[in-house]
Amino acid sequence: MLITSHARVWFWGRVLTEALIVRGLNKTFAKPAVSDLDLTVHAGELYALLGPNGAGKTTTLRMVAGLTQPDSGAVAIFGVDARKDPAAAKALLAWAPDEAMIYDKLSPLEYLEFVAGLWNVEPKAAKAKAEQLLETLGLTSEARRRCEGFSRGMKQKVALAGALIHDPKLLILDEPLTGLDAAAARLVKDMLRARVDAGATVILTTHILEVAERMADRIGIIAGGRLLAEGTLDELRGKAGEASGRTLEDVFLQLTSEAVPQGVVA
Amino acid sequence: MSLPFKPASTAWLLAHELRLAWRGFLAGRKGRGPGALIAFVILGGLIVFGGVAMGLALRGQQVPVVPLAVVIVDLALAVILTLMLSSTLAASADALYERGDLDLLFSSPLAPRKVLFVRALGLAVNAGLWFMVPAVLLLTPSIVLGHPAWLGVFVVLAAAALGASGVGLLLAMALFALIGPRRTRTVAQVMAALIGAAFFLASQYRNLMGQKASESLFARIATDAREGRIQPPPFADLPLRAALGEPIPLLILVALGAGIFLFAAQTLGRRFADAAAATQGAETRKSAKGPTRAFAAGPFHATVRKELRLISRDAALLSQVLLRVLYMLPLALVLARGAAHMPVWALAGPAAAVTFLAGQVAGSLVWITVSAEDTPDLLAIAPAPMGVLRQAKLTAALLPVALLLAIPIAVLAWYAPLAGLWTAIGAGLSAWSTGLIGVWRQKPGKRADFRRRRGASLLATLAELFVATLIGVATALAVAGWLVWALPPLIVAGAVMMALRRTDEQIAAALRVAS
Repeated sequence: MLITSHARVWFWGRVLTEALIVRGLNKTFAKPAVSDLDLTVHAGELYALLGPNGAGKTTTLRMVAGLTQPDSGAVAIFGVDARKDPAAAKALLAWAPDEAMIYDKLSPLEYLEFVAGLWNVEPKAAKAKAEQLLETLGLTSEARRRCEGFSRGMKQKVALAGALIHDPKLLILDEPLTGLDAAAARLVKDMLRARVDAGATVILTTHILEVAERMADRIGIIAGGRLLAEGTLDELRGKAGEASGRTLEDVFLQLTSEAVPQGVVA
Repeated sequence: MSLPFKPASTAWLLAHELRLAWRGFLAGRKGRGPGALIAFVILGGLIVFGGVAMGLALRGQQVPVVPLAVVIVDLALAVILTLMLSSTLAASADALYERGDLDLLFSSPLAPRKVLFVRALGLAVNAGLWFMVPAVLLLTPSIVLGHPAWLGVFVVLAAAALGASGVGLLLAMALFALIGPRRTRTVAQVMAALIGAAFFLASQYRNLMGQKASESLFARIATDAREGRIQPPPFADLPLRAALGEPIPLLILVALGAGIFLFAAQTLGRRFADAAAATQGAETRKSAKGPTRAFAAGPFHATVRKELRLISRDAALLSQVLLRVLYMLPLALVLARGAAHMPVWALAGPAAAVTFLAGQVAGSLVWITVSAEDTPDLLAIAPAPMGVLRQAKLTAALLPVALLLAIPIAVLAWYAPLAGLWTAIGAGLSAWSTGLIGVWRQKPGKRADFRRRRGASLLATLAELFVATLIGVATALAVAGWLVWALPPLIVAGAVMMALRRTDEQIAAALRVAS
């Protein structure tokens, strides 16, 4: 049950300090994709959601972003019930999928103008922010070229700039490092860390476990649409047991192999 | 399922292309319901009915090889050829830029000319089918009822399709060599539109030049031929004789069509592969100079600006609009010129036509702006209300129509203010109505998919035609001064609109089902 007041926000009897609370989330397509999922992401942390292919990561995040309607369950973003007041919830977040959501026939600057308009960012501030983001991402010289000839990595950078133009409190990224070269990947990781240090919350999915190990404050492991474990790396090691080994890869494989038959885990 | 041909042979590659085309067709049909099929069956039935009537009427009669028949067949073939060339030129230019499996094929050990041969054959089949299917339905009864030699018509059509695709390829490659990869696609699309409209414009030369408005070029030629004032030049009777099944003319036309096709495919193979490779990323424009424009404020203005930018950068869409503008041009000129000295009632027809075409152009633009969205998820996660975004897209689509119509209507209003007012109201209403139909009956898809197959809903297309026609009729009646009689068609159009109307919730539900 979600109750909101001017002073405090309650979610199933708890005072909210979390960026995201997901409770009892369910989604079935041809077969269950997400089953009775509970997830909590604290404000100001970088949370990595890991899982084998088809685990339900993207479906979960799409439901959080309001792109896929859940069959049942509750989603609260900074205390705003995302199902009851989607516009207010969307105003707080940004979503960047692995396939960059950009228009080939627009330039990065034109794209950022459009995204800033969608989020109703004041035009002058949006323009200044766009120019600053493009500079940070090394796209200033390409700012007024159309994106159609851009490499995948450049398109990813443009999409990331779009996700950041309205200073979202919650940034959700699905495989943000796909297609980026080493320098660009480093740049994006630094930018995400800086956003978190500035108080924003970041949720990302990745198949590169070293990235999660180094960057994430907490990690959730999902398989078969269920959350298998959640916590810091040390907490996860504890849950996986002594036999699991030291690295996140060992822990991940141990936990997912228990939940998913051998050979299915990617 | 494996293909029953030797791998890497031309037949094998052709079968592969046909399989892909067939699956693409089936995918395009998915979820469309039986409406389109029923409409096609009815249309096909009507053509067959006409064909049977023609077959019975012409039973036992021979078509004489006289100047009039020669001129009619030559003109018909010329019209068909220009339409085919228009389609194959645009498709040839597109083929250079569509990545698809082209990189895979050209990186394989297959000879480039084999790849191009099969691709070009696909262009020819596509261009030919548009004429072949109705021709088969119309002529088969006559062929069965005593004119088996008329099978030659199909062979002539096939030869025309082969020739047109060969010329289309050669033209596209010539453009590529002359103006480079950055502009070829746009120029080819514009040229295709001009070629497509060439015969219509030629037929309207008197309207364009301001002479006797009633006489068309084709009617004049036909009259001159009938009265013996035109003597067709030597070999002008080849198409007619070939269509009537005479073997030598048939062979000559086939040799001509197939020869052009083979020449293009054989000589361009390697160059086409190089050109296709050179187009990758070539459409990227140089950075614009000058200070950056101020950003748009709010979702409505930002979306209008974005849609106008995308419309102005969509060469295929622009060529479609250009084609319609070219069709509108003679009417608009008649309207503007006639306004000065014609009685007001004589302006009714052109006013109706302008109103109808305004609806058609608006329908095309709205269909693209509303349904073709490359990043639907971006719009879905934005806090902006979907209704505002839709209004912005509708506005962006209607603005170019308003610009297009502003001059002819302003000229008309100068000479005949009331007729100008009614035409402006009618055109505005027609554009707005077809725009709303596009919004209510939208079908989401990516822009690139729309270029390949414009899978508009048949119901929406027919409804747009019907409503634009009704409003056109109402405008004509109003311009003629019969205001009361303008109401019934408007009421019917309103009823159709009410029947098609969908609420925001219904649109959202339909989009969920479609996705």
